[in-house]
Amino acid sequence: MLELVNLCKAFGQRVVADHLSLNVADGETLALLGPSGCGKSTLLKMIAGLERPDAGQIRLGGVDLTALAPEARQVALMFQDFALFPHLDVRDNVAFGLIERRLPRREAYARAERALAELGLAGYEARRVWTLSGGEQQRVALARALVTSPRLLLLDEPFSSLDAHLRQSLQAEFRRRLAAARIPAILVTHDRAEAFALADRVAVLQQGRVVQCGRPQELLAAPRNAWVASFIGYHNVLDDGVLPEQAFLLGPAHPPARVERVDSLSEGIRVELTQQAAHFTLTLSAREAAQFPEGLRAGQDIGLGIDRSRLIRFAGA
Amino acid sequence: MRAVFSRQALALLPLAFLILMALAPLARLLYEGGGGLSANLFFDDYLRWRLVWSLTQAAVTCVLALAIGLPLAWALARFAFPGRVLILRLLLLPFVMPTLVAALGVLALFGPHGVTGLNLQDTPWLLLYGNLFYNLPLVIRAACEALATVPASRLAAARTLGCTAWRAFWRVEWPVARPWLASALCLVFLYCFSGFGLALLLGGQRYATVEVEIYSLVAYELNLADAGALALLLLCLSGGVAFGYAWLERRLATPGKVEPLPPRPAATLAERTLLAGALVLLALFAAAPLLAVAGRALSAGVEAWAVLGEGDTLAALANTLRFSALALGAAAVLGLAHALAAQRWLWLRAAAFLPFVLSPVCVAFGLLLLYPGWSASLALLLGAYALLAYPFVAKSVAAALDGVPPQWPQAARTLGASAPRAFARVVWPLLQPAFRRGLAFAAATALGEFAVTLFLSRPEWTTLTTLIYQRLGRPGAASLDAALVLSSVLMLFAVSAFVIIEWPARRDRDSDHA
Repeated sequence: MLELVNLCKAFGQRVVADHLSLNVADGETLALLGPSGCGKSTLLKMIAGLERPDAGQIRLGGVDLTALAPEARQVALMFQDFALFPHLDVRDNVAFGLIERRLPRREAYARAERALAELGLAGYEARRVWTLSGGEQQRVALARALVTSPRLLLLDEPFSSLDAHLRQSLQAEFRRRLAAARIPAILVTHDRAEAFALADRVAVLQQGRVVQCGRPQELLAAPRNAWVASFIGYHNVLDDGVLPEQAFLLGPAHPPARVERVDSLSEGIRVELTQQAAHFTLTLSAREAAQFPEGLRAGQDIGLGIDRSRLIRFAGA
Repeated sequence: MRAVFSRQALALLPLAFLILMALAPLARLLYEGGGGLSANLFFDDYLRWRLVWSLTQAAVTCVLALAIGLPLAWALARFAFPGRVLILRLLLLPFVMPTLVAALGVLALFGPHGVTGLNLQDTPWLLLYGNLFYNLPLVIRAACEALATVPASRLAAARTLGCTAWRAFWRVEWPVARPWLASALCLVFLYCFSGFGLALLLGGQRYATVEVEIYSLVAYELNLADAGALALLLLCLSGGVAFGYAWLERRLATPGKVEPLPPRPAATLAERTLLAGALVLLALFAAAPLLAVAGRALSAGVEAWAVLGEGDTLAALANTLRFSALALGAAAVLGLAHALAAQRWLWLRAAAFLPFVLSPVCVAFGLLLLYPGWSASLALLLGAYALLAYPFVAKSVAAALDGVPPQWPQAARTLGASAPRAFARVVWPLLQPAFRRGLAFAAATALGEFAVTLFLSRPEWTTLTTLIYQRLGRPGAASLDAALVLSSVLMLFAVSAFVIIEWPARRDRDSDHA
């Protein structure tokens, strides 16, 4: 169990942690979700011991880590660019931490090779790290982090340097690895889809504070305020809540709305509409779009009904 | 907290050294020279000629190096031919060649007993030729680097928009190359203006420079006032140029990754002529003096080679190696400390350039004035050697440190390595190629050091360079031959340093790719 208690950290005027408190249970994966520059990475560095908090405590399994040097914490951090050592081959990269723990070289190599084999990288031992693809580098970094059996795993944007296709195929495997490792893990990301796909719980950060923390469904079912709602992907945010897609009814029986803009996206057709000075964004599935055999064009009027009973009210209001 | 403290401690070492060995002597020199400036320095025809000629030869070298170097660099950068990569690498060789070797090479070609039969002694051409030996490769390297930052796509775009190759050069490549060339020419001017060895050996009576004049005023006439005034003037002028260089250098932004135009075979007659002309000029200016030294030394008789067995020579060789080894040890420590400290304090990085800018003669003169009681102390000589050599280590290691992202040692820390262990296992292995390169440059500087040794000279401190100078002072072809044999030994040292610099072990080359 990891406990962050009232952590504070500021770089001059920029506050990256403002009395921040969080718990992560054993075997649980927590995602820290926030816009770029909100202090997520700094938070990870504080937990790893690479930055010192101005105030507050970091406890792991009941023991206060705050004053410990990074090498004494047994906290593994996987860096955004993976930080593989270019002067060492794949085997030496993975065995690095084992050798620091005074394991005989032969034993360290054997364990490193096992870890590589588990991640499907058998035969890569003598490769130079810069000859690996992005996905392979990510798996080497993960093997290097897990092979030392850390008590906590920290992941800094683990997928951001991979292309979109690879990202999706690796996320499922990643989730399995995290579950198998049975240690608490913290994942930092600015991508809500990644946070929802990988984490048991998501903490939404803004200016060094946890605005809301909960399981993905809880966040979607009751966002705390307008900022959280739009950050986790809702388009139609009103003063007192959000209107989910199901709240919108299409058809000639409903009052007219003006189509402002139509975009084809991979998940459907995005339509921006105005009705009595209110602005809405809808994503139509292929089935819904079939109601308009002549297609949708900007400037056209279509019937749009709104079912106010489906309004999701903000939890904090 | 502790890390900050130890960095501060690291910075103290090079700082204290720079203050004691460079800034304090300069301040002393300013004090000494300030009084002399009021004297009739500018109304003395003789001194005025020295000053005018010093400026003229530096300026003329700049113009010649640009006029010859730019087309030469363009041909080397754009045309493929066998041996191209080797030639581009060999362009670094003059950087490590002692001035005495180059000067002797020039004399062996165009001196009183020169192989060409053309005696150019007591004309300005000898010095200009020597200047070009060093500075033409410098301009060519800068221009080649600049041309490599022009993306091939940009040139292709210019061609599709209707530019001929000639117009594309002026409208696309030249604007990119201009700041690089300007900064290179600042260095050329600086080297020529404050160079000592070449001017002493090649200038003769009439075409020696201010730097040589300072030396003779101190060494032969004991006229410290005039020497101080001249040194002050020299310092101001070269300080101004150095400032311009630093300013230009900062504006040289290297874009991330560029696909430059790949070299292609010279196709038309005009292109082949250009390439052939370029290679001939390069051979004439950069290779001929070295070949002349080696050729003359090899063809010299057994009597000339017997000089190697003489007691004087062995003592000088021992001195050269001993001074260089001691200076190298100091340079390694100072350079590492300076580079590590400069990671945190950027102004320290600029301070590493200080010894490059200072003229050795001014430093030596300042040291003599400041520490008269120490003038016979070996520590002072070694300090001066270290001062001239360590910036190479500092610069090289600092650049390599910039290439080590902070997350690498951080990753090592999270994997259980303490700060010293993380440095030893991750940072240090990555710095090693740069460290060795820096040491090789430093070694070349120390082995070929001439100005300071001559200035602080004592009979028991004779090194190879000062011994060669003594030999040259004796009349006759036999003395020249003996000097050439000694120079070829010195050249061998320089070539070894060059090989270490340019042909690193395979493992290092691999990690250079990272």
